[in-house]
Amino acid sequence: MEDIRAYIETGILELYVLGDVTPDEKLQVEEMAKKHPTVKAELDEIERSLELYAQENAVEPSENLRSRVMGSILTNLGDDNNFPEKPQPVNHKLVELTARKENNFYKYAFAASLALLIASTIALVSVYSRLQQSTNQLEAIQLQNQHFSNRVNLMDRELGIFRDPSFKLLKLQGTAKTPASVVMLAFSPSKKKVMIDMGNVKLPENDKDHQYQLWALVGGKPVDLGVFDAKNDSTGMKEMKSIALADAFAVTLEPKGGSVHPTMDQMMVLGKF
Amino acid sequence: MVFSLRNHEKIAIEALYDMYSAALFGVISRIVVDTAIAEDVLQETFVKIWHSFSSYSTEKGRLFTWMVNIARNLAIDKIRSKDFKNQNKNQELENTVNSIDEQRSTVYKPELMGVKDLVDTLKPEQKSIIDLVYFKGYTHVEAADELGVPLGTIKTRLRMGIQQLRKHFN
Repeated sequence: MEDIRAYIETGILELYVLGDVTPDEKLQVEEMAKKHPTVKAELDEIERSLELYAQENAVEPSENLRSRVMGSILTNLGDDNNFPEKPQPVNHKLVELTARKENNFYKYAFAASLALLIASTIALVSVYSRLQQSTNQLEAIQLQNQHFSNRVNLMDRELGIFRDPSFKLLKLQGTAKTPASVVMLAFSPSKKKVMIDMGNVKLPENDKDHQYQLWALVGGKPVDLGVFDAKNDSTGMKEMKSIALADAFAVTLEPKGGSVHPTMDQMMVLGKF
Repeated sequence: MVFSLRNHEKIAIEALYDMYSAALFGVISRIVVDTAIAEDVLQETFVKIWHSFSSYSTEKGRLFTWMVNIARNLAIDKIRSKDFKNQNKNQELENTVNSIDEQRSTVYKPELMGVKDLVDTLKPEQKSIIDLVYFKGYTHVEAADELGVPLGTIKTRLRMGIQQLRKHFN
């Protein structure tokens, strides 16, 4: 009991009421007040007297301050009433989270779309170039195909010529001027067709100002059967102008396009039936 | 009343204002001399009381003690804040030396204290220490410096003064 008296006498309770104590001292006073009703009663007395002292020294604030203070408090009160205290932060948080998620979703969706677009573009370009390649290859193959079919047709016709009994084969031998020259020729009087086997033409190559000209000799007179070029790599049968009758065939070298009359000293080959 | 304040009832804060605004303003306006600023502080005090009421408990003591500590702390914060100091500086430039002294709210001036019929009750040295700590927001250490007396003496005078008040009010 003496201790408590002494504790009260230190004046710590007054300082406590005046808010002039350290946090430690504050806890200590509160402990003491809880344990000892005497301390609690003393504290209460000090508070009461200081409160009355403050009332004695009261100063009335201006009249309009009351409404100002109430206004600022009740603005907050209105908010509090509209949004009940507890659910508000929870709702708020929820909304915020959802919004953030949406933001993220759109961000990722946008990035994904962009990536997809780029990938698609690359794929499209590559597919397009492959398509182009395939088309080119197809064209080349078609061309080749046509070429082959042409050749097959040609060879078919050639074969037909050889098979056709109406065709007679004639070998035109080189004259004294060019003894090594040979021209193979097929003639069908009934079909009035004359063909030169270009693969079997052995003539000196003509220059670009000259061409070989085939003549048929009918009753001693030369008849123009058309011009041709002699090249090393030429193949196939070349059909010349038609004629029904011929005693002999000859080839002369003439100016390009051929002549009306054969230049006899330029006769390269000659063949008779 | 404490209960209805805890429930944030409008009528409770109005009653609280009517009962205590003058006593709190008495404390605030002795710390913050400028009436307009003191009224701002009073407003802040009630807003703070309203919002932090949940932290008050009757076990810790009387409601007024809690409120007056809030008011005193806000008032002291105000005069120590930059704004307030700057304002005082501006006024120093504009006004006369006389008014500067009046604005210097941390300087103890007994004539500004609410001296009523307590003059007979309290000895001057008791009154000055109570007023310094209670009304001016001094700590007892600062008060000892200000009055030039030892810390122990301050404590004793403070206690004696308050006991004097108790006798007076009883």
